[in-house]
Amino acid sequence: MDFISENLLTLLIILPVFGALGLVAHQMFWKNESHLKWVTLAITVVIFLISLLLLGDQTVSVSGFSFEKNVPWIDAINSNYHVGIDGLSLWLVILTTFIMPIAVLSTWHAVEKRPTAFYVFLLLLQSAMIGVFVSLDLLVFYLFFEASLIPMFFLIGIWGGANRIYAAVKFFIFTAIGSLLMLVAIISLYYLHAAATGVGTFDYVTLLETLSSGGLVFTPLAGTLLFLAFALAFAIKVPLFPFHTWLPDAHTEAPTAGSVILAAVLLKMGTYGLMRFCFTLFPDQSREFAPIFIVLAIIGIIYGALVAMVQPDVKRLVAYSSVAHMGFVILGMFSFTEWGMQGALFTMLAHGVSTGALFLLVGFIYERRHTREISEFGGLANVMPVYATIFVITAMSSVGLPFLNGFVGEFLIMLGMWKSTVLPLSFGVNWNYVATMAAGTGVVFAAVYLLWMIQRVFFGKVNKEKNRGLKDLTSREIGLMIPLLFLMVYMGVYPKPFLDRSKAAVVAIQERVVKQAGGEIETAAAPDEK
Amino acid sequence: MDLINPNVNIPIILPEMIIAVTGIVIMMYDSFFPKQRNVSTVLSLVGIVAAAVLLGMMWNATSGVPATAWGGMVVHDSLRMSFTFVFLLVSALTILVSAIWVERESVPAGEYHALLMFATFGMMLMSAGNDLVIIFLGLETLSIATYVMAGLRRSDLKSNESAMKYFILGSLASAFLLYGMALIYGATGTTNITLIAENISSPYFPGLLLIGGAMLIVGFGFKIAAAPFHVWTPDVYEGAPSPVTGFLAAGPKAAAFASFLRIFVIGFPLVAGAQASGYLHNSWISAVAVIAIITMTVGNVAAIMQNNVKRMLAYSSIAHAGYALVGFVGAGMASNATRDSAVASVAFYLLTYAVANLGAFAIITLLGQKNDRRTEFEDFNGIGFKSPALSFTLSLFMLSLLGLPLTGGFIGKVLVFRPALEAGNTLLTVTVIAAVINTAISAYYYLRFVVVMFFKDRTTEWVEPKMAPAFATVLIITVIGVFYLGIFGNSLIEKFSTPIAPVGAQLR
Repeated sequence: MDFISENLLTLLIILPVFGALGLVAHQMFWKNESHLKWVTLAITVVIFLISLLLLGDQTVSVSGFSFEKNVPWIDAINSNYHVGIDGLSLWLVILTTFIMPIAVLSTWHAVEKRPTAFYVFLLLLQSAMIGVFVSLDLLVFYLFFEASLIPMFFLIGIWGGANRIYAAVKFFIFTAIGSLLMLVAIISLYYLHAAATGVGTFDYVTLLETLSSGGLVFTPLAGTLLFLAFALAFAIKVPLFPFHTWLPDAHTEAPTAGSVILAAVLLKMGTYGLMRFCFTLFPDQSREFAPIFIVLAIIGIIYGALVAMVQPDVKRLVAYSSVAHMGFVILGMFSFTEWGMQGALFTMLAHGVSTGALFLLVGFIYERRHTREISEFGGLANVMPVYATIFVITAMSSVGLPFLNGFVGEFLIMLGMWKSTVLPLSFGVNWNYVATMAAGTGVVFAAVYLLWMIQRVFFGKVNKEKNRGLKDLTSREIGLMIPLLFLMVYMGVYPKPFLDRSKAAVVAIQERVVKQAGGEIETAAAPDEK
Repeated sequence: MDLINPNVNIPIILPEMIIAVTGIVIMMYDSFFPKQRNVSTVLSLVGIVAAAVLLGMMWNATSGVPATAWGGMVVHDSLRMSFTFVFLLVSALTILVSAIWVERESVPAGEYHALLMFATFGMMLMSAGNDLVIIFLGLETLSIATYVMAGLRRSDLKSNESAMKYFILGSLASAFLLYGMALIYGATGTTNITLIAENISSPYFPGLLLIGGAMLIVGFGFKIAAAPFHVWTPDVYEGAPSPVTGFLAAGPKAAAFASFLRIFVIGFPLVAGAQASGYLHNSWISAVAVIAIITMTVGNVAAIMQNNVKRMLAYSSIAHAGYALVGFVGAGMASNATRDSAVASVAFYLLTYAVANLGAFAIITLLGQKNDRRTEFEDFNGIGFKSPALSFTLSLFMLSLLGLPLTGGFIGKVLVFRPALEAGNTLLTVTVIAAVINTAISAYYYLRFVVVMFFKDRTTEWVEPKMAPAFATVLIITVIGVFYLGIFGNSLIEKFSTPIAPVGAQLR
């Protein structure tokens, strides 16, 4: 058992790589690409099942890290291969492994060009994503964070739409700028730690211990710069307004599987990074900058929703809705209340499921009609009733209808923000209330743009000849939507298992942010049992 | 046992001697059997391997290797060892890459290999020399050989232009260097670098020290292609035959860095309480830091606008000189305890650059065909899945040059940024931030290879080039090298930065 628990995460990182190598070998010797998708599907399903073993260990839900492995990597700079998970990363890892088989299934007929390479990149991407969520050494974390760029770059660039080169390069350069500044901050942390304690380290756990015991105190300037370098990298990835412009391009041009993974997992790397590293390593600075992040988040929520409303392209609409949803996540995180942060984590998962599903649905219709223009459709509910039903349910979950997953997260975030004391009381106004109300309008807008789109696409008369002959969803397509639909309902009706597992980790982070010396924010009351 | 350091200590320069003798043997053999091609290839490889084995033995020897020899003119330390290792690797790979090219272009193989050996000999002297005279000797041996190598395609106008430019500007740089060395000698009364380091705290003429240092910076600036002394680079790199370009960017540049490090980091240290050394140290650190920022920016911004692959890589090599300079100033600021590892980080960086760069030039040599015809970006359009092995390896090299994780380039960058950040000096921190922003800029043109090869479609016909065994060997070595340095580079870094245990009498 020890051996398994020590190496389970490593196995999850390495299995996709071996899978990818296997695909390459297969291609070299058999030259038959027809059953590749089956092989890839099998690999990803196996990885998903293995990742479920993580749930079996109840210690994950108490604070601290489980499944740890810590071996020296580069002694010369004291960097260790250190991995482990807690309640924060647990669900994100499982989200990653869960979404992969679905993404693979969605490519069944969509990828005709170079399928081997496509699946190879998909698997490499999975490995990098899992690596991001489990690494506890900053240099290793950076390594995976950057490594995830390459497969996505290829996925967009080779299998993307007409404007793919622009989108791919933009995606790469935007993210690279942020993460390189983070690299400088990571190396600086190493030296600040060395100066304070005599030993330089990239190890997150060690750094955190030194910081919380007061062994290392940043000067105000150094702290601010380091925090901003980290936060910028993550804000671009999230993407937080005004760094969001790469997202609509990348989403629109990416192949369906790419969009699904981008929305479901890649964006979460940013919010995960903020919560895991920015909050705990720089609690003072996080509080100091919280108002700015909250304002940007609210701008993102409203702006994303307004822009989504006027998009003529369904996929672009969903992409902008991502900007709005991620704004909610940021808002919840920066409320520094347990409710808000739990809600943020929950929204991350819910957004992964429901936006991933929306991108899949858009992909289905694109495969049939080779267009995504809203004006090209109308009355689809008459021709494709199953598709329409599933689409409406998914859209409702994205809007945040009660009993579907979107609701729980957004509700918690707004509760958290309402209770929060991050924003000051001035001019006799509690700005936390104002922020909550402003964010609340985003929910209304979300209903507007999604329902309006649904109305234009699905209802009314079928007014385009081409749409008359459209076939409804195949059993494969329905099959791959079922797990997603199930989760939407399950997470909406009974979110307790998810929240319970993440509670300890989130509370630990929240206490770290709030209880730092000089912190003035009171801990909000623990939420009642839901 | 008390060893007495003899004035002449032949074993310590045996690797250098082997290389020089190999060069002479090749030259002699070639004059008697001029039609050969493969013999000189094999001979030179044997020479390099022999030198490398000897070097490895000296490296691992725990006793019996004196720290200095030839009256202190040659030094045996980790700087020499790590750089010599880089040079031998570069030469060996260049010979293997050239195997196809020598045949294709019917280059006089004997001359070429002999010149390459002499160039290698010069580079090795530059890293081993502990005396301004030896360093200059090595530099000139290297330079004269490389001037000829750049012009090897005698019938090609561009190659001639390249050689001519390289010669004239190179001579100018040598003149600067020599003058600088003379002034340093005037200021300190010695050409021995160890003694210079002792004397700079109380020089005869402090002013001369500063002027001499400035001249040396100009001279080495030329040799490592640092802006604003880089103007010759693109033309020379474009015109020289591709394997030679790869060699020029990897080998001589590293050699110049070795001497540069030796003279400045070891020869011009900061001596506490000594005003003259403080001035000198301060000014060269700031000068080099500013040069590093300019170099990176100029190299990267100009590289974006290139349409020729070789010119692009020339500007990229300028940018990389800038990154290495970041580590260089970091090493200059390092304390005695951390200096070895800071110097090692520069050596390691240049090694990662050499591996990726040589690999890239190998592929460009292969795809370029006779007379380097296909070296525009359009020539690479859409070959991604037509020649997947070549395209993916070329992309890998580009990603390593870009410094993405899991490749050697990443570890190299982390290592050179490290000492600069450790210094905690504002200027150096700014330099690192400039380097990072430049890295992001460079993503644009390194990825351009990926974009043209994989994302664009090919409109013209594509004939998959044949891969000779020698060439395949290069690719395998460089690909493994890129990953090895990126993932398991630890042991090598430690080897580079561990001071060699000196035995016997030392100079100080």
